[in-house]
Amino acid sequence: MSTIPEKLITAGIDVGSAAIKVAIVETTGRALEVNSIASERMLAGASERTRRRDALAVAEGLFDEQLRVAGLTRGDLAYAATTGEGEALPFRTGHFYGMTTHARGGLFLEPDARAVIDIGALHTRAVRMDEKAKVASYRMTSQCASGSGQFLENIARYLGVTLEEIGTLSQQADKPEACSSICAVLAETDVINMVSRGIGIPNILKGIHQSMAGRYLKLLVAAGVRGVVLVTGGLAADTGMMTAMQETAAEQKAALDVRCHPQSVLAGALGAALWGGFRVRRLAEKGTPLPMLVA
Amino acid sequence: MSAPGLAELLERAEALYLDYRLGAVKEWKQRTGGLAIGYMPIYAPRELLHAQGVLPVGLMGGRDDLEIIKGDAYYQSYICHIPRSTIELGLNGSLDALDGMLFPAICDVIRNLSGIWQMQFPDKLSHYLDLPQDFDPEMGGKFYRQDLEHLSELLVQRGARPLTAEALAHSIELYNAERREVQALYELRRLQPWKVPTHELYLVLRAALVLPVEESTAMFRQYHEAVAADQARKPVDQARVVLTGSFCEQPPLGLIKTLERAGCSIVDDDFVQVHRFIRSDIPASDDPLGALVNAFLTDGMASPTRYVDRGRKGDELVQRTKACGAEGLLFCAPSFCDPALLDQPMLVRAVEAEGVPWTAFKYSENSGQFQVIREQAGTFADSIKLWSNA
Repeated sequence: MSTIPEKLITAGIDVGSAAIKVAIVETTGRALEVNSIASERMLAGASERTRRRDALAVAEGLFDEQLRVAGLTRGDLAYAATTGEGEALPFRTGHFYGMTTHARGGLFLEPDARAVIDIGALHTRAVRMDEKAKVASYRMTSQCASGSGQFLENIARYLGVTLEEIGTLSQQADKPEACSSICAVLAETDVINMVSRGIGIPNILKGIHQSMAGRYLKLLVAAGVRGVVLVTGGLAADTGMMTAMQETAAEQKAALDVRCHPQSVLAGALGAALWGGFRVRRLAEKGTPLPMLVA
Repeated sequence: MSAPGLAELLERAEALYLDYRLGAVKEWKQRTGGLAIGYMPIYAPRELLHAQGVLPVGLMGGRDDLEIIKGDAYYQSYICHIPRSTIELGLNGSLDALDGMLFPAICDVIRNLSGIWQMQFPDKLSHYLDLPQDFDPEMGGKFYRQDLEHLSELLVQRGARPLTAEALAHSIELYNAERREVQALYELRRLQPWKVPTHELYLVLRAALVLPVEESTAMFRQYHEAVAADQARKPVDQARVVLTGSFCEQPPLGLIKTLERAGCSIVDDDFVQVHRFIRSDIPASDDPLGALVNAFLTDGMASPTRYVDRGRKGDELVQRTKACGAEGLLFCAPSFCDPALLDQPMLVRAVEAEGVPWTAFKYSENSGQFQVIREQAGTFADSIKLWSNA
């Protein structure tokens, strides 16, 4: 058995369809432990929207920037793990699948969580996990866009509001207007009708949030989830969505405690970085040479 | 920065792989005036064809860019895809450069295809290569030798030169050299999978099917030298897997790329098996035809198309998995492939008994969507890297 490193610094790069997320973490301890808060800390982390630029170039720029923020260089990293659509990043040490990384990042951010719901620009995934972030089951939205962040972004554009305003506006609603939860095209038609009927923007947005929240709860139930659920992915920053999910869970008397964390959007990148450290220790334990980081 | 010539080599390999109309075969025929004979996957006695001045041309069906218009009329919906695309290519004139076809004994579907071919193309040579399942030299050996002698006569009738022992011995040497090059590439991939991505190796293997052995051997060597020297190829932490079941109908190139992107390094596979079906050099002999027959009887791969005593196929798969240091197995078979799918439960039992993690999925040569397989392979690779004790 070779020596398991005491302290490791690893990076996670989550290439999403709308944004890149990077996290740098430090883990200490020789044991192959998962969910050991005392031995794990985030050194740096940030998210940046791609905005029609080359995703790989944005990812590399953000990666190097976060290394600078943490006062590190690429050479200080034991593992650079990609996730999401990051398989093509040439400087990666390895890649982990999105479900695996969101589960791990979710557990890091919310140690009581036994599930995450990753709401991204194109897909939503409900992932049930155990106390070691091992994925037990999952459910994903179909290809229909009505369950995705991209859909919400389109609606915001029709309504002339920014993404940042959506949450606050939604929470001002007094009479939410029901909206189709099945089809993005029908939902968009609903929204156009609502605007022409003079429905206020807060009530339109709240109706959409409620419609999406209903879909997400169905996913969670189908994945067999109970207890604490952490919302991750880009829509975790949408306070209106969070409120709608918590309210819908209460209305439906679902045995779910839906939570969010200020760093929820970084869950995939955090999970990738943490698994990277776990992988390095595991390889060391098996006596296998460590993968080299491509500088 | 890639090694010089590598991009050009891969570009040419891809062009040959994509060329349904066999332009390279047409050029060879114009240059030499020789016959070109197509053969279906897994195994063909290419040495014999070469010794008679014939170009053996490997055919492996179609891809998702081939619209099947007529081919579906010949096969029910519960039959695999390769016979449909092969008929389509025959009927749409893509295979006009070929003077005949060999149909090795793969399964009932391919045997039926040989019958359809005889009816559809009565002016061309169409030979069902009834490969023996009895490996006793006095039984299967004699039977196979007679079949090869008969094939040789059929080729002469079509204008090929008669078979001589000297010519066959020389051809055997050439194919031995090609096998060694392919084996060396597989060995390099086993040791340094990041140097030899399977989606590239696959293209080179496919391109070689339409080239004369002298050219294909040189191409394998050039590719080997180029990737070995390419310092831009760095190690990546992937799960090492063996892929099995894709010996006849081939997966789309996109599926192979998907598996690699999902975190799997394929360190052994069943793709384009004809280059490796005979596992070692065919020894020099005063009776080269006998040596060719004997190599098939005693040194062929434990393919699902071949009768192997109870349990030994599973043992061989376990042995292959261990020999290449694989951490898991992908059962990746075409939908409705009887040989692959009937063997699979037996193989699964064998690998489970050894604690080798595995996952299984099916494809068709014209599959265009890989998202589900990507998820399956991605989570499988993660489970190996993070949790497996293999």
